[in-house]
Amino acid sequence: MAGMELLSDQGFRMDGRKPNELRRIRFKKGVFRQADGSAYLEQGNTKVLAAVYGPHEIRGSRGKALHDKLLINCQYSMATFSTQDRKRRPRGDRKAQEMTSHLKQTFDAVVLTELYPKVQLDIFVEVLQSDGGNYCASVNAATLALMDAGIPMKDYVIACSGSHMRDTPIVDMNHLEESSGGAEVIMAILPRCDQIVFLEMNSRLHEDHLSGVMDHVMVGCKDIFNILNQQVQDELCQKTELDKIVTTG
Amino acid sequence: MSVDIRLASSRPAGTDLYHGENPGNIVTPGDVITADSGFMRGHGTYMEDECLHASVAGTVERVNKLISVRPLKTRYNGEIGDVVIGRIRELAQKRWKVETHSRMDSVLMLSSVNLPGGELRRRSEEDEKMMRHYLKEGDLISAEVQNVMSDGCLSLHTRSLKYGKLGQGCLVCISPSLVLRRKTHFHNLPIGASIILGNNGFIWISPTVQDKSEESGGYETNLQPIPKLDREVIARLRNCVLALAECKMLLFDTCILYAYEASLKYAVKDLLKPEVAVEVVDLVRQRLELEGS
Amino acid sequence: MTDAELSEAEKTFILHSVQDNFREDGRGNEDFRHMEVETGLISNTNGSARVRLANTDVLVGVKVQLTAVDPEKPEVGRLDFFIDCSANATPAFEGRGGEDLGSEISAMLTRAYSCPSAVDFHSLCVLPGQQCWLLYVDVLLLECGGNLFDAVSIAVKAALFNLKIPNVTMTKDEGGVELDLSDDPFDFKRLNVAGAPVVVTVNKIGHKHVVDASEKEEECTLARIILGVTEKGTITSMRKEGSGSLDSDSISEMMESARKVGMELNKILLKALEEEEKQGAKTVGFLR
Repeated sequence: MAGMELLSDQGFRMDGRKPNELRRIRFKKGVFRQADGSAYLEQGNTKVLAAVYGPHEIRGSRGKALHDKLLINCQYSMATFSTQDRKRRPRGDRKAQEMTSHLKQTFDAVVLTELYPKVQLDIFVEVLQSDGGNYCASVNAATLALMDAGIPMKDYVIACSGSHMRDTPIVDMNHLEESSGGAEVIMAILPRCDQIVFLEMNSRLHEDHLSGVMDHVMVGCKDIFNILNQQVQDELCQKTELDKIVTTG
Repeated sequence: MSVDIRLASSRPAGTDLYHGENPGNIVTPGDVITADSGFMRGHGTYMEDECLHASVAGTVERVNKLISVRPLKTRYNGEIGDVVIGRIRELAQKRWKVETHSRMDSVLMLSSVNLPGGELRRRSEEDEKMMRHYLKEGDLISAEVQNVMSDGCLSLHTRSLKYGKLGQGCLVCISPSLVLRRKTHFHNLPIGASIILGNNGFIWISPTVQDKSEESGGYETNLQPIPKLDREVIARLRNCVLALAECKMLLFDTCILYAYEASLKYAVKDLLKPEVAVEVVDLVRQRLELEGS
Repeated sequence: MTDAELSEAEKTFILHSVQDNFREDGRGNEDFRHMEVETGLISNTNGSARVRLANTDVLVGVKVQLTAVDPEKPEVGRLDFFIDCSANATPAFEGRGGEDLGSEISAMLTRAYSCPSAVDFHSLCVLPGQQCWLLYVDVLLLECGGNLFDAVSIAVKAALFNLKIPNVTMTKDEGGVELDLSDDPFDFKRLNVAGAPVVVTVNKIGHKHVVDASEKEEECTLARIILGVTEKGTITSMRKEGSGSLDSDSISEMMESARKVGMELNKILLKALEEEEKQGAKTVGFLR
């Protein structure tokens, strides 16, 4: 692959990043008024919106209700214009359904579901622009949206992807790197207790490299966590400052 | 006729983010609050490895031995004695189901309302048949939380003359955590309107009514047109409440009145513009700061 | 958070406020709410725009594709509208829940743009009789705060304004004509949207009518007419909707309002878009 080297001799990736460097992350919580919680997140050129509704009464048939815990309902969709080639439908294809069930599993593991028996929580994720790491950006955005909605969780859930190229582990892959046919490891972790809640590997990777890649992805997740947590804390501090004016007045 | 289209890039960037130190009471999910086992676990916390962790992002609150974390925004978590505004969603056996922005529909029992005539009496079958006549789907009520069931469902009552069906006016829905808990949530503002600040984030603004007829138990609503002057006050209050909520100010009667006064130099509809709203809220903030210091 | 169903007293309150030409939020009957527009936020598209009208939030992406011409109209390009009502807007849109509303809006847009002068359809034809551009106009509805039709149409017009169609070079050989798309991102042509309509919905409430109804006001409306209006005041399409009925006098009054407001909307929208282009400011997107 002349001129298309995924990792140059100097150790730079195609978009100029170092192997362990993340793409730029920017986000905002509370972008919508009507949802209980919402968040917009950019990881490089991947842009994702997440909205959370609930907990609320079960919609539709009451038979779905779980008597001892919260029912989490997810929907993953991609805007028809989000990909290079136009998508024919935003959801309902196999990939979207797989993503939906992945998201549901991930958040079942972290939301304190036993606190809300018999009710339902909706997590809707919409990919506006796709440039690799859609699952990761979706998880990170949904985590922020859940936090915005004040839903009790054990910890943040942070997802990141990684691979192995020219004997070097790389993290946070973009679309070009994903579609190069190499291996891809996707992980979602609880950053503070080092628990892995989601793990997926595509294509093939030598067994000896796996733990190395996983370690790097883990570090990537924690870097993402630090970025998110810092801004979340800053926002909270600002709000408490504001409240002081009223409560002491 | 007025049409106002702006560029998103012209929107005020908002005040700078706080970059100071964490004052210590700010936590995010997964943070350890304390390893001391002498505390009780409140809302927004969970126990693991004998440590008390936060489960939501917010501020830690300590009442004696009870530790809880209050998130910025959440669905309404009812407490006994709270004043709420609710909308009737459904009629069922001897009860109304009421939407209160809680996680479940709240319940108003037929036995928990005042019936016309006023005197306390047993509810007859006749009353059951008349339920839709008293309150039907879509109607708004003010009520008090009587009890919180184990699954989080709230039961309400309206057995006081200040509660009951609401007439003409304007409902504004904001986040419940923006309503400051006060001794009273009913206010007859000196500007010719009344406001009920429901603990559940539903805020009811209506013209001040002088005589609530006790004959009908408050179930008859007055559908006469409201004078335009009153309507202006209500619309202005509505826009002020929304502006304050947009800037995440805690709401109580004084700050709403201040916002109203600060807004008087603008036409009511101009308050919908973000820069005007921000200015009004800033004026309120300054005035509160001045009085607080 | 707003519940759709209103009590009788609330409806009366809104009805009287419209009679007084002083609505719940202080607007007059022909006032629009504050609106924000931004273009070029999605780099995977050829043109994109976002419009936020109070709480109504719409994102539009346009992608172009070369395709065979319609044999019945061999000299013009085509527009294809698709509206996706995202579940982000309301849980009721989950799954296929938003499809009915989506097809209703896309039908209205198709009708409004079916007027031959709406955009220069001839310029969209690359090779008469053979190849033309097909513009996929994809609308994503992100939040509903009333007056969806108008907000969608404004966002569509803004996205078409932002549209950059790659230039095509033609080389003739024996087999026919070969088309080559330019790779250069700065080698493109724009679409003239001066004649493109916006949709104005006029809601009849009591004896009066209002434009840009909030969700609550829409709840009080029994009948409304939806019109496509161009900058010159031409009406490109019209439809009456709702269970109520209207007499012809009130329809002509409502049309007059729509024409007036529509012309103003077009003018101010274009001014804002040209201003944005001049500024060349960085995109804000959802971050502010």
